[in-house]
Amino acid sequence: MNYKIRIVDDRQFIIVENESSMMVIPFADENTDYQAYLAWVAEGNEAEEWIGE
Amino acid sequence: MAGTTTNFAIPYPSSTDYVTDGATAMKSIADTVDAVLFTGSSSGNLIINGAMQVTQRSAVGTAVTGITTSGYYAADRWKTAINTLGTFSQTTLADAPAGSGFRNCSRLACTTADASPAAGDYLIFQQAIEGQNLQAIRKGTASAQTVTLSFWVKAFQTGTFIVELEDSDNSRTVSKSYTVNVSNTWEYKTITYPADTTGAFDNDSNGSMTLNWWLGAGTTYTSGTLATTWAATVSANRAVGVSNLASSTSNNWFMTGAQLTVGSVATPFEFKSFADDLRNCERYYLKASALALSFAFIKPTLGFAEYFMPTTMRAATTLVCTFITRVTRPGVLDYLGDYRISNTVISGEHHREHLFLDWYSGNNFPDPYTAYTSLPATITMELSCEL
Repeated sequence: MNYKIRIVDDRQFIIVENESSMMVIPFADENTDYQAYLAWVAEGNEAEEWIGE
Repeated sequence: MAGTTTNFAIPYPSSTDYVTDGATAMKSIADTVDAVLFTGSSSGNLIINGAMQVTQRSAVGTAVTGITTSGYYAADRWKTAINTLGTFSQTTLADAPAGSGFRNCSRLACTTADASPAAGDYLIFQQAIEGQNLQAIRKGTASAQTVTLSFWVKAFQTGTFIVELEDSDNSRTVSKSYTVNVSNTWEYKTITYPADTTGAFDNDSNGSMTLNWWLGAGTTYTSGTLATTWAATVSANRAVGVSNLASSTSNNWFMTGAQLTVGSVATPFEFKSFADDLRNCERYYLKASALALSFAFIKPTLGFAEYFMPTTMRAATTLVCTFITRVTRPGVLDYLGDYRISNTVISGEHHREHLFLDWYSGNNFPDPYTAYTSLPATITMELSCEL
């Protein structure tokens, strides 16, 4: 996964993009996609800021 | 007088039983009736979409191909967990045992074989269950209950397979085997699992127990002794003896009519209305199209809308949205540019989403501005909080 962090005003979102869709993951402990993101971070990865088009 | 009753499989006593030990025979009948009545009045089917009727992700008959990673692909609530053990396609098929009342099944078909699994390889068809839906089992208490799994299975490959109950709250498992006796023939299987007085399920909305239909595994999961009673998880004891569905591209595996109930007797399948099944599935995953949105710009490039879900979802959701590019519709969107949806969950009750609509070009609306639109059916929005 290529996670990015998007900031809208004061809110942050975790973004995963591919050619046809965009996935937005909430910062919520019970969400399994968020758990996968945390595992990705625990492996030493860091999400870049999402710039958009 | 051998045999069982038609509906609840209550065993008939033989005439010999009455002659030699009538009290024992009557006690057996009384216990069985008690178990059936108890089961029928308590848990119902703990599995959601056991008849494979709800298929939001892909239509009945449409194969999802090239599966090499774990995920939810076809029938709702059913996950394929795979780790470098061949390649599979998954389909919800209009195929079921004749006269059973079922119409659909889930099928896994091997498209690239792996006849020699590495130690850590596995293939599992599974469903995870929320802890708060499992309390009738009374696990971890002195009055813990047995549970009984029933399902129909058909496979090209005959042999032994494993179904495991995995308690993720307490890292405990129990596994039982079943046999596919005849190739390409629907067979009805029932498995009763013992009670476990150790380790209660959490009473919350997180996953507490997963039913794992093991369909192949390497020695990491097969080199020990099958854990046929509840015990602390030992990887080597989880799938001992399981056949390898990835051994040949001729192999496939069909399953439907999955039911897990409290008690030691397999009860008739609890057929629910499609509406009930759909709502139960939408608690975990929702796919919407042709959205009707009222929105407002909060800045020239950023619109805002609210979407109310048809049911309260389990938890905060991940949103997947197809990009929306220059939707041409009568009215307001004719002169809007490219845009797409992103979101955040605002509601603590998980019954609505607040959606952001980002405009990238061609937007000449003043700020603030409100409007209404119906998006075309080709634009889909998926909300997921699967276990």
